[in-house]
Amino acid sequence: MKPATATAGIATGTAASDLGRVLAQRERRFAAALLAPAFMALLATTTFPLLFLIGTSAFRMDLAMPFADGFVGLENYRTLLTDDRFWSSLLVSLVYTGATVVLQVALGLALALLVMDMKRGQGWFRVVAILPVVLSPAVVGMIWRTFMLAPEFGIVDYLAINAGLGSKNWLGDPLLAMISVIVIHTWQWTPFAFMVLLASLASLPEDIYEAARLDRASAWQRFRRITLPLLRPAIVMVVIMRTMVALTAFAAIFTVTGGGPGTATEILNLYAYRKSFTELSIGYGSALAVALLIVTLLISGVLFALRRAK
Amino acid sequence: MTTKRFRFVATMVITLIFLLAWVFPIVWSVLNSLKTDQDVLAYPPKLIFQPTLEAYRDVLFGSGSILPNLISSFVISIGTTVITMLMAVPAAYALARLRFRGKKFAGFYVLATQMLPPVGIIIPYFLILRNIGWIDTYQGIILIYLSFSLPFAIWLLVSYFEDIPFEMEEAAYLDGASRMRTLWRIIIPQVRGGIAVTIVFVFLNAWNEFLFAVVLSGNTVRPVTVAMFNFVSVEQTLWAKLAAVSVLAMLPVVILGIIAQKNIVKGLTVGAVKGGGRR
Repeated sequence: MKPATATAGIATGTAASDLGRVLAQRERRFAAALLAPAFMALLATTTFPLLFLIGTSAFRMDLAMPFADGFVGLENYRTLLTDDRFWSSLLVSLVYTGATVVLQVALGLALALLVMDMKRGQGWFRVVAILPVVLSPAVVGMIWRTFMLAPEFGIVDYLAINAGLGSKNWLGDPLLAMISVIVIHTWQWTPFAFMVLLASLASLPEDIYEAARLDRASAWQRFRRITLPLLRPAIVMVVIMRTMVALTAFAAIFTVTGGGPGTATEILNLYAYRKSFTELSIGYGSALAVALLIVTLLISGVLFALRRAK
Repeated sequence: MTTKRFRFVATMVITLIFLLAWVFPIVWSVLNSLKTDQDVLAYPPKLIFQPTLEAYRDVLFGSGSILPNLISSFVISIGTTVITMLMAVPAAYALARLRFRGKKFAGFYVLATQMLPPVGIIIPYFLILRNIGWIDTYQGIILIYLSFSLPFAIWLLVSYFEDIPFEMEEAAYLDGASRMRTLWRIIIPQVRGGIAVTIVFVFLNAWNEFLFAVVLSGNTVRPVTVAMFNFVSVEQTLWAKLAAVSVLAMLPVVILGIIAQKNIVKGLTVGAVKGGGRR
C-alpha cells in the first residue's frame, strides 16, 4: 500500500500540523461513513449467525419434538465424539477434498504445460475452460446424474458397456458413487486450476529457460528445477482456494447422490444439513456445523503455514 | 524428427480429449433438450435425430411452467447485485484509498467472514427468518446472499481502486471539490470497467447459489436451480424437459462468462492473491 493520500498531499504547507490533524480526522469520519453499511451487513449476515450457531449448539432443539427442547451445555459435542456417522462423514470429507484437489492441480498443471507449448489453438482452451466453472454446481450435478451416469443411455455407462466392463450402477454402489462425485467435482473445477496455472506460466521470465537450454538442462530438469519452484505460489494458492470450497461442497453432491447410497458420499457439510433440515435436529446440526468450522480453520491454518514456509 | 512428430501428435490427442471432456456434457444436454423423451432414452445414444423445440415449449408455457422460477432467479440475482454494489463500492474505496485506524483489521475481517461454512449461516438464519415470516420471500434470500457477495465484491473492487493514480484525487480535492463529489465524479468513472466485471461475478454467484435457496425457497420464491427437481422424482424423470431446464439455467451464466472472459482468472482468484499475504 502506498501511504500517500489526498490529505498527505495537501498537508505539506507551513501551518500544516493543525490543518493536517483536522483533515486526518475528516478522512477517518468519511471512511467510517463509507464502510458502515457494508460492515453492518457483514456483521448481521456472518458474525451474528456464528454467535447464534454456537448458542444453538448448546441446546437440544428438535423441530419435530419442540416439547423436549432445552439447554444441554456440551452434550451435543459429547454425542458427536461417539457418533460413528460424524466420523465417517469427516473421513468422506477428507477423501473427497484430498482427491479432488490433487486431481485438479495435477490435471490442470499437466494441461497448462501442454497448452503453453502449443503454437495455435490456445484460444480454444481459454474459451472452453470457462464453460464448466461458470455453471451452477447444482445444474452440473443434475446433468451428470442423468445424461452422463444413467444406466445404459447415460454416456459414461454406454462407454463402459462398449469397453466390455458392462453396465454399472454408478450412483448405487458406495465406491462407484464416491468415485463419481469426485470425478464430477474434478470435471467442473480442473479448468480453474488450468486457467490460473496457464496465466502464471505465461508470466514466467523467458531468459531463465534460455540459460537452462544453453546449459543443456533436460526438459525434466527444466520443469523440476525452474518451472515448479516458480509456479509454487500459484499452485499453493489454487490448493488453498479449492480445499476451502471442496470442504463445504454441497450442491454437486446433494443433486447427484444426496449423500447416498446410505452415507457413502455424505460429507460433513451434508451431514450437518441433513441433521438440521431433514431430521430437524437443529441443536445437534449446529454442533456439526461448528465442528466443520473447526476442521476448516485447522486445515487452512496448516495450508497457510505451508504457504509461508520456504 | 520422428520423436518431435510423435510428441506433437501425442500433445494434440491429449489436449483434444480434455477439450471434448469439458464440452461434451454441456453439448449433450443441449442435444437432449432438442429430443423427444424416446430419443433421449434410445440405446445406443442418438447423435442424429429429428430436432424439436417441444421440450422448451412445455417447460416454458405448459402446465408447471418454470417461467416463474426463471423470474425468481432474475429477481434474486439482480436484487443481490444492486444492494451488494451499493454497499461494496464505498467500502472498497475506503479500504483501498483512505487512511484510518483499524484498516488492516477491517480488510482481514472481510476475508475472514468467508471462512464460515454456509451451512453454519443457514441454520441460525432459517430459525430467524422463520420467526419473522421471511421464509419464501425475496428479502430473506437476498439478505443472506449478502454474506458471500459482499466480501467477494469488496475484495475485487479494492484491486481496481488501487490501480488509480493518486494525483487524480489530489487535483480534484485542491480544486475544492468535496470528498463525496471527488469519489462520485472523479474516482467512480475511473473504475467503471472494474465495477462492470464485479457486477457480472456477483450476478453469476447469486444465480448459481443452491444451499441457501433450497432451504429458504417455497411456492412463491423458488429459483430455477431448485425448481429443476420438479422434473426428477422417484416415479419418473421427464428427460427432455429436464435437459431444456438445465440449458435455460446455464444460458445466462455462459453468456456472462464469455463476456467476462478476460477477467475470469482475476474474478476467480480474488482475495486469495492478497489474503494472508501482503496485507
